[in-house]
Amino acid sequence: MRRTIGPCVAGGLGLAAVLALAAAWLDDYQALVLGEVGLIAIIGVGLNVLIGLSGQMSIGQVAFQAIGAYTVALITAVAPQLFWPALALGVLLAALGGFLLALPAVRLKGPYLAMITIAAAFVVEHAIIAWKGLTGGANGIAQGSGVPLPWGDASAQALAGLIVLVAAAVFLAYAVFARSRLGLALAAVRDSETAAAAIGLDTVALKCLAFAIAAGLAGLAGGFFAPLTGFISPESFPLSASILDVLAVMMGGTEAVLGPLYGAVVVVLLPEMLAGLAEYRLLFVGGLLLIALLIAPAGIAGALARWRRGRGEAPASPPASLDLAAFLALEPRREAALAAVGLTHTFGGLRAVADFSATFPAGAVTALIGPNGAGKSTVLNLLSGFYRADAGGIFLDGRAAGRLGAWQRARRGLARGFQTALLFDGLSARDNVLVALRRGRAVGGMARDIAGRLLAVAGFEGDPGALAGSLGPRARRQVEIARALALRPHVLLLDEPAAGLTTAERGPLARLIREIAAAGVAVVLVEHDLAFVMEVSDQIVVLDRGQVIAAGPPEAIKADAVVQAAYLGTRAAMRPAAAAKRAPGRAVMLNATGITAGYGGAPVVEDVSFAVAAGETLAILGANGAGKSTLLAAIVGLITPRAGSVEFDGGDVTGFSAANLAARGLVLVPEGRQVFPELTVRDNLRLGAFARRTWPDRSELDAVFDRFPRLAERSRQRAGLLSGGEQQMLAIARGLLARPRVLLLDEPSLGLAPQIAERLFADLATLAAEGLTMVVVDQMATLALGIAERAIVLENGRVTHSGSAADLAADTGLAAAYLGGTGARPLVSPAL
Amino acid sequence: MLLAAALVSGLAIGAMYGLLALGYHVTWVVSRSVNFAQGSVMMLGAVIAFSLMLGWGWPWPLALPAALAGCAGFGVVLERVAVRPFRARGSESWLMATVAAGMLVENAALFVFGKEPRGMPSALARHPLMLFGAGILPLHLVILLTGLGLAGAFLVATRATPYGKALLAVVQNPRAAQLMGIDATRMTVFAYALSSALAGLAGILIAPLINVSADMGFVFGIKGFAAAILGGLETPSGVVLAGLLLGLAEASITALIGSGATVMASFGLVILTLYFRPHGLFGRAEIRKV
Amino acid sequence: MTFGISPRFFAIAAGFGLALGLSPHPARADPPPIPIGLVAALSGQSAVSGDAITRGLAVAIDEINAAGGVLGRPLELIRRDDESNPGKGIAAARELISRDHVVAFFGGIDTPVSIALVPIANKEKTPFIGVWAAGTGITRNGASPNYVFRVSAVDALVDQRLLRYAVTVARAKHPGLMLIDNPWGESNHAGLMAAAKATGITLAGAESFETGDADMTAQLARLKQAGADCLILVGNAAPAAEVIRSLDRMGWDVPVISHWGISGGRFPELAGPSAAKVAFVQTYSFFKTSAKGEAVLTELEKKYPAIKGPADVVAPVGTANAYDAMHLLALALAKAGSTEGPALQAALEALPPYDGLIKRYDPAFTATNHDALGPDDYLMVHFADNRIVPVD
Repeated sequence: MRRTIGPCVAGGLGLAAVLALAAAWLDDYQALVLGEVGLIAIIGVGLNVLIGLSGQMSIGQVAFQAIGAYTVALITAVAPQLFWPALALGVLLAALGGFLLALPAVRLKGPYLAMITIAAAFVVEHAIIAWKGLTGGANGIAQGSGVPLPWGDASAQALAGLIVLVAAAVFLAYAVFARSRLGLALAAVRDSETAAAAIGLDTVALKCLAFAIAAGLAGLAGGFFAPLTGFISPESFPLSASILDVLAVMMGGTEAVLGPLYGAVVVVLLPEMLAGLAEYRLLFVGGLLLIALLIAPAGIAGALARWRRGRGEAPASPPASLDLAAFLALEPRREAALAAVGLTHTFGGLRAVADFSATFPAGAVTALIGPNGAGKSTVLNLLSGFYRADAGGIFLDGRAAGRLGAWQRARRGLARGFQTALLFDGLSARDNVLVALRRGRAVGGMARDIAGRLLAVAGFEGDPGALAGSLGPRARRQVEIARALALRPHVLLLDEPAAGLTTAERGPLARLIREIAAAGVAVVLVEHDLAFVMEVSDQIVVLDRGQVIAAGPPEAIKADAVVQAAYLGTRAAMRPAAAAKRAPGRAVMLNATGITAGYGGAPVVEDVSFAVAAGETLAILGANGAGKSTLLAAIVGLITPRAGSVEFDGGDVTGFSAANLAARGLVLVPEGRQVFPELTVRDNLRLGAFARRTWPDRSELDAVFDRFPRLAERSRQRAGLLSGGEQQMLAIARGLLARPRVLLLDEPSLGLAPQIAERLFADLATLAAEGLTMVVVDQMATLALGIAERAIVLENGRVTHSGSAADLAADTGLAAAYLGGTGARPLVSPAL
Repeated sequence: MLLAAALVSGLAIGAMYGLLALGYHVTWVVSRSVNFAQGSVMMLGAVIAFSLMLGWGWPWPLALPAALAGCAGFGVVLERVAVRPFRARGSESWLMATVAAGMLVENAALFVFGKEPRGMPSALARHPLMLFGAGILPLHLVILLTGLGLAGAFLVATRATPYGKALLAVVQNPRAAQLMGIDATRMTVFAYALSSALAGLAGILIAPLINVSADMGFVFGIKGFAAAILGGLETPSGVVLAGLLLGLAEASITALIGSGATVMASFGLVILTLYFRPHGLFGRAEIRKV
Repeated sequence: MTFGISPRFFAIAAGFGLALGLSPHPARADPPPIPIGLVAALSGQSAVSGDAITRGLAVAIDEINAAGGVLGRPLELIRRDDESNPGKGIAAARELISRDHVVAFFGGIDTPVSIALVPIANKEKTPFIGVWAAGTGITRNGASPNYVFRVSAVDALVDQRLLRYAVTVARAKHPGLMLIDNPWGESNHAGLMAAAKATGITLAGAESFETGDADMTAQLARLKQAGADCLILVGNAAPAAEVIRSLDRMGWDVPVISHWGISGGRFPELAGPSAAKVAFVQTYSFFKTSAKGEAVLTELEKKYPAIKGPADVVAPVGTANAYDAMHLLALALAKAGSTEGPALQAALEALPPYDGLIKRYDPAFTATNHDALGPDDYLMVHFADNRIVPVD
């Protein structure tokens, strides 16, 4: 796309020049209409910066248009020859107004943002009315003079031509801007403010800039509006005009450079073409706009792009690798790159971190481990500046950094990853890295190349031009690491980088982390997989309930009795349920036959059949991406299977909605901490019983709290404030409150500390023993097999093995091949 | 006396803002979208009630529910046509789509109902009661009590009933809500119907005070939205309270400074409030864990 | 990001261009009609006024065309909606002049729109005849030659009349002003202040209100405190009705004298029983029987089935003013013998006497006075039920 910009620019400018010349043959009215198209297009480009690039919104652009128009009209009324300086001043004043409005607006989102811009439009309109002495009040001002050109005042035709040229220049500037460092940075802020701060972008300043640019362009359009129409009054700038401006951009398409042009053509010309309909006109305009929004969701530009798709980027040849140490150019230093002293943080009344002190030396990998809710992620957020500590100090390269914001710490060399990889989904994988890269030393035209190499270093094998939003979880983590490396960090914080990876995939990750550390970077790691932690770490810090309970080299930690008790637990007897075989000949409770399902494109699951008898527990095993979650989603009705049928309790329920099935007792506890974040823990649990249409009573809740004491402590807190592991417990507890007849669990142990995961499965075993029918999907195959009677193994969406749980567990070769090794490797090393 | 008169009618107008704001609140908490045609729906309620009562001679106990049902029905259609298609794509274009729908309704009303403002007679708006030396219409009190009563009812419904909780849960995690047996689509449709009925009620109640016309809703729609934002969108009592505050502020500004300053000052206050309290007066930040 | 201009874009642009350039015009009959424009509010709150004007113009055009047209050509009315917005009005006037080549155009109820159209009329040398908006500055705009004429009331003169009525009939010593917050209100504010100064009356105060305001008690209470013993009201029907109802609510029984804005809608219905006490100014009442009045009413009833009697002529001044203005324009066309703007302007300034619906114009306009109606042509009226009847 970049390569094609040259000829297109020439073509566009040529067209603009032709149009500008053609304006000479238009009559006055046509010239006025052409000028209006140009002005709305200019405002639209400004809105494109604001909406399309920076992801904000303004329904108050008329305010800035009015500022520009009145500045020009008032100055040229006194000194007609000063049009051009007046125009410049108008643009500046409008931009300043935009900046001032941005100060409160950048903290706002969605409807709040819309409201403040609407309010601004009203305030400006009525200020003009009230300030009669200057503005002539509601009477408005007649603009006597035109636009001075070298050969005299511009005629209506010349003015229209001029506006076309100015609009063309604005479009060109936008095309360059959108690809520039600033443009990419704005897009980054749009996609994730958190991640943008983490790569050192000053999100507030960037959003203010977008507002100022949009306002300045509206002011520019306003400056031309006065001479174009010859008269301005407060009524020339009604709120409805702002709405129309936004509509123009939306209809044109916010993603494309030329979107505002298409939109402007439509919103100006459509009413003109319908002028014959007189008073019926607005009725048609409203209807047509609605239809246009419905049939062209990505705007006209988007629809055109879809029409001529096929010119995709050629697949990139695998990029050469990168000498990471040379790129990072850091001498291995043994002094502390990052140090925390006495950090304390309270969270919703609970002390999440208390008196945390640690040093993270350069060139070493430090792991933070501990049970769920121990405060590991909170420590990472304190270190990286996303939370402000209540007490304590943070030192980055020996200098106090405790008062710096996240983006400032990033600029001082602190990079981080997030628990769920946070990427800029609207940018390509390469641009994700590129936007971070430019913070480092000048790399010039090499930037793209280096970004590609960094991706390769991080193990990314996909198309660097693919949108980040389209990548799978593993690729997202790789892009995130590459992006963090692009900052040339002194310190790198990683939050559960190995989560969801198979053993085969963990090896390269461990090597990469060692390589990064070897280059002199202080790596800090939060991770549950102890084998992985032991393999990569130089030192380990163990947290429990916000406090450091142990710290030292891996060997010492392994031997530490306190750690064993707090974190690892003792392996309880796991097989009471599975051992107690129930009588054969039980009724089939859930029967899936020939299920084929997916999300468009190739099916993820093909022709899968299984049956679960009443009181039986079935484990579904398989590597990442084998289709386990998709299968469950198809069974409970979250997605409609393309083929096959589901029978539940003797009746055909294929195609039933998830809500309907839940009400019938087929309950899925979905993967990944699916809670209602704004509701309290108690209310989350109560909603578990919604399908029963009864409100659970106190004793029922108490029973849940007995099983999950952590939830009892936090029952009145909003669920969103819980740690990841606690949320997982809540989701499972909530599923149990539905009193399911068949309970499906998708990755229940994901993100749980070993001790908690073990206790959870012990509880599930008890439930199985009590006669609950269950289907369990879990990466920790030993745990799942431990409670199941039978199991099936999925590979690439098909069943490859099925049999009794005991047989499958015994088949270590099978486990190694299909279970990503987690089955073959005991969960907790017995050596510990 | 001057201020007393202003305050009383300010409270009644504010209660209208509150009713509209409640409508914005309902769809927001259920679907994280709002109906920007709320003002047009308000007009629709007044126009239907007017036509039924004066055109067809229906008694008000019949016309009122019929008009509310009409508005609710419109809300259902609007959700289906102008909101759901966009939310399904994860697009924010419902904002503009509802604006366009509002344009459509307003202009359609212009033809069906006519261009002139019409007077809606009401027994409650005929004879003022004298309180504090200021005339108050019984309708003023009815509006105020309706606004406060509905806000209270909403608060109880969302705090204490499973259905209310379920409404709130839908938007926070639609997938999980479905798995709890909550039909997210139905909840959203219900929210839009309810929101539209509220707007219609506001229109019918205010009609005897401000006349019925095709464009009566535009300014009210925006001010109701301002009230919803001021209150923080999240709590029913907050948005109604903010509506009352906005009505009071407008009335006192008009009484003390003059009508020319009202819009400037009241929307200026909105900007200032949002500067100091980005989530509104009574709202709180949504949880955003890193 | 794409910065490509596809051939399809050209096709679309060309399509739009074609549509703009070749939008259908009525087929040109032989001889071609003389196009005459109207820029008025056809939608929105003031739409009734646009309809009333249209009716007056249409009836007059029918009469003229039935009599063989002017210069051997029939007249044709081309209407454009200004949505009560000056910007839209300007675009509409430009379109009428440069694309439809109208020889002259009429204006609507909104003073802000008419004020905005003045420079265009003078620059394009196309006569602009106001038939409703009363803002003083519309005709008294300082241009020479001045292409703006008016067959309607003039605020400065109406204001004198209103104040005189307040003092002599309502026996007011300190009238208070209630003015709509727009240029029309401002124009009358200036006019009333000047008139008060000229007659040595001290005003109790001036308050303004917005079109959408739902309660005016705050402003009225301030006037009451300031000792107002009579109210002079300037505003359109809907907000003015709100003023009356706010008065009722306050229990303040005070004489109200109004500009004619209240005749542009269903004021009696909106304001309730107290509407009858408001005295206001008109240029014409269809209840005032005359031969010509009967004839025009019959034509209106024939052309518009909704009109079944004088009470159904909503916003009568618009219809009456427009009817006379159209005939005056036809006279001027005939006298000029041409459709050229300058000739037409000169002819308008030197029209022969004409017996109109409102009065005998002798003559309508002069080089220094572009207002066909003066203070003696105003009559004070009030509503009796739905009918506008003279006060006396």
